[in-house]
Amino acid sequence: MSMKLEHVSYTYMPGTPYEKEALKDISLEINKGEFVAVIGHTGSGKSTLVQNLNGLLHPTKGTASLDGVDLAGKTKEAKQARGRIGMVFQYPEHQLFAETVYEDVAFGPKNLGLGQEEVDARVKDAMKFVGLDFETYAQRSPFSLSGGQMRRAAIAGVVAMNPDYLILDEPSAGLDPGSRNAVFAEIMALYKKRGIAIIMVTHSMEEAAKYAKRMLVINKGQIVFDGKPGEIFLKEKKRLLEVGMDVPEVYKLAEALRAKGLRLPNDITDAKLLLAEVKRRKGLK
Amino acid sequence: MLDITLGQYYPGNSFIHRLDPRTKILTTLLLIVAVFLANTAIGYGALCAMVLFIIAVSGLPFMLVLKSVKPLLFIIVLTLALHALMGQGEHVLWQWKFIKVTEEGLRLGVQMAMRLILLLMISSILTFTTSPIVLTDGIEALLRPFRVIGVPAHELAMMMTIALRFIPTLMEETDRIIKAQTARGADFDSGNLLVKAKNMLPILVPLFISAFRRADDLAIAMEARCYRGGEGRTRMHQLAYRAGDVMAFVFAFVMIGLLAFLRWGLL
Amino acid sequence: MDPVIETKGLTHVYIDADNNQVTALGGIEMQIEPGEFVAIIGANGSGKSTLARHFNALLLPTEGNVRVHGLDTLEEDNLWKIRQNTGMVFQNPDNQIVAAVVEEDVAFGPENIGVPAEELKQRVEDALRAVDMLEYREHAPHLLSGGQKQRVAIAGTLALGSDCIVLDEPTAMLDPKGRKEILNTMRKLNKEQHITVVYITHFMTEAMQADRVIVMSEGKIAFQGTPKEVFSRVDELETLGLEAPLAAKFAFELRKSGAKIPDGIITNEELADALSSR
Repeated sequence: MSMKLEHVSYTYMPGTPYEKEALKDISLEINKGEFVAVIGHTGSGKSTLVQNLNGLLHPTKGTASLDGVDLAGKTKEAKQARGRIGMVFQYPEHQLFAETVYEDVAFGPKNLGLGQEEVDARVKDAMKFVGLDFETYAQRSPFSLSGGQMRRAAIAGVVAMNPDYLILDEPSAGLDPGSRNAVFAEIMALYKKRGIAIIMVTHSMEEAAKYAKRMLVINKGQIVFDGKPGEIFLKEKKRLLEVGMDVPEVYKLAEALRAKGLRLPNDITDAKLLLAEVKRRKGLK
Repeated sequence: MLDITLGQYYPGNSFIHRLDPRTKILTTLLLIVAVFLANTAIGYGALCAMVLFIIAVSGLPFMLVLKSVKPLLFIIVLTLALHALMGQGEHVLWQWKFIKVTEEGLRLGVQMAMRLILLLMISSILTFTTSPIVLTDGIEALLRPFRVIGVPAHELAMMMTIALRFIPTLMEETDRIIKAQTARGADFDSGNLLVKAKNMLPILVPLFISAFRRADDLAIAMEARCYRGGEGRTRMHQLAYRAGDVMAFVFAFVMIGLLAFLRWGLL
Repeated sequence: MDPVIETKGLTHVYIDADNNQVTALGGIEMQIEPGEFVAIIGANGSGKSTLARHFNALLLPTEGNVRVHGLDTLEEDNLWKIRQNTGMVFQNPDNQIVAAVVEEDVAFGPENIGVPAEELKQRVEDALRAVDMLEYREHAPHLLSGGQKQRVAIAGTLALGSDCIVLDEPTAMLDPKGRKEILNTMRKLNKEQHITVVYITHFMTEAMQADRVIVMSEGKIAFQGTPKEVFSRVDELETLGLEAPLAAKFAFELRKSGAKIPDGIITNEELADALSSR
């Protein structure tokens, strides 16, 4: 079970003066159960990449497929395959439209042609996942919710499609640190419970390091790095800075401590480990 | 990624491009009058020569200007056909049962078609050589004297400016919303008209809400920047007539004079 | 010198959609001095945006008062003077640019207050140069990056002649590059042109660059001080839905485990120094 890009190139507005090649010959495979962070500066092609992954854009060259089914196809199979990939856009609350939270979350499942009972169950399940109490919120207008709640209702609308692959484009944009943590707690719960794949576009090195098991670094329409976040941050700091990225704070702190003569292992990727190590070195409990 | 160029402005730095927008609007109107005065082959010939001359001066590709006729091509052909086939007159060129083509009818048809083509080309030269923003300035300046009779010149211009500014933003937004709802399995293509209209709601509702939110934000931002209507406002770019503008007006009046002479002779 | 902004018992009460009385601000007392760079932080809904709008007379106090350059916002005659002196930059870069050309947009403010054409051109040029956007003067705003759009908005306030700029989460919708651009621009304006800056944000790294940090919670000032003072209060920040920098968290934890670490450590270097000197 995997989604695949094979030699995918994507060009915007081909044949016009505005022609722009956003992806260049990208090959990539993502398996069910993976948590992949996609980082890269604005205009690097990462949004185009994920839109090719879920069949919203079709490659100019090459193919995008899910379990062998070409996502660009017009067949029923292709449509079904596209339906297995959920996509949460940036500021998803701006796509809410229905009169009640229930109706909005039910939009996707209804489009899948499910029966009323199944739709009902899906909505309840999805709302629970994002931490919106069904009794309290189902019949309320989505526009009467707070910003953070609206975001969660919108995410529920995608979760209710029961996707095997969930793509999130900057799910924490514009939220304060507290709400950010809450949204991620829900995403992680979903990831662990359902065993789905999560592909997350983010500007935050901290989020990539904290949640993802695999990281893609995109620059100028190509994949610069593809590997474990910890390894990339440890070994490729120089190149990351060159492509406008950074390393998480914990790496910088470890480096600052080492520079002052504190002997620390070279492979620290986690704040808790670093803290434990510092305590050990300093003979603290 | 959407990049729409609004209107059909064709950037350049020709004599025509540099004319004051008021001059361009007014001379366009004058030349339109000239077109309506034409009633002889020589008159139309002179007008065609004039349009070719203006295009040459403006540096626009001829085919680009000619293309502006395309949207109304059907109507032009229809006009020609109707006049030609239904025409009255003595000199029958061809007849089949009750359909007859007369010389007078054909002549009238060609005249009408020429008139439409010339009108389209002249007015498209205006929009090709003037950016929408400058055009708005021109319209505002020309309408200003009519404020005394209650024409909201400044408000109209401000509305046009804001529309020009926000149309690309809202287009991008529409694109994003369509994609988001498509990813949730929305179907915008199948069903009858009523079903289709209903299926548009998931796009239209967020789009309206967003447009209202933007309008609200913009109103506050404008207020914060001391906006209080057109009273006491100055403009950075003052419109000013130059020598070229005088030449353009002289040219337009000469054309009207010429066409009037061809129509009525020396009065 | 008189404070640029001074609030006394500033209270803001409004009626929400469900007809409930909501106290957005409950008796705010604060002063912002000329040339200061003040950051205001707080969770979503803590009242920081409402507060910002009082500094520009976009909102008026239910109780108490706000004086900007000594002018009471409740006096209608002061309105335009206040808005001229205190510029505002909002969160959404797309929703505050009025004109379809960059320089026209920068000119919008001064045009409104009737600045003559010649002076206007000079002001627009100076303002665009100050934010490093002069080469984009004839560009269409919708083709600029988020950071560039926000710099155009900043130029708009400068052209208006503002010596105090209030920015309401100007970087919330920007990428890291855009965020740096805005913060650097404001620091430069603060240093070189002595512009008073009120910078509302929920990025703690940005607030760390300020002279003073005010922490808002539920319509009140929870606490305030220098970045060192504020960001050392690790657990208090966390209960307010905010986050202290990693070095401060480490210092806090190490202190709890019995390490003797001085107060006010918020950067990596400070922590490294403190640990190596032992």
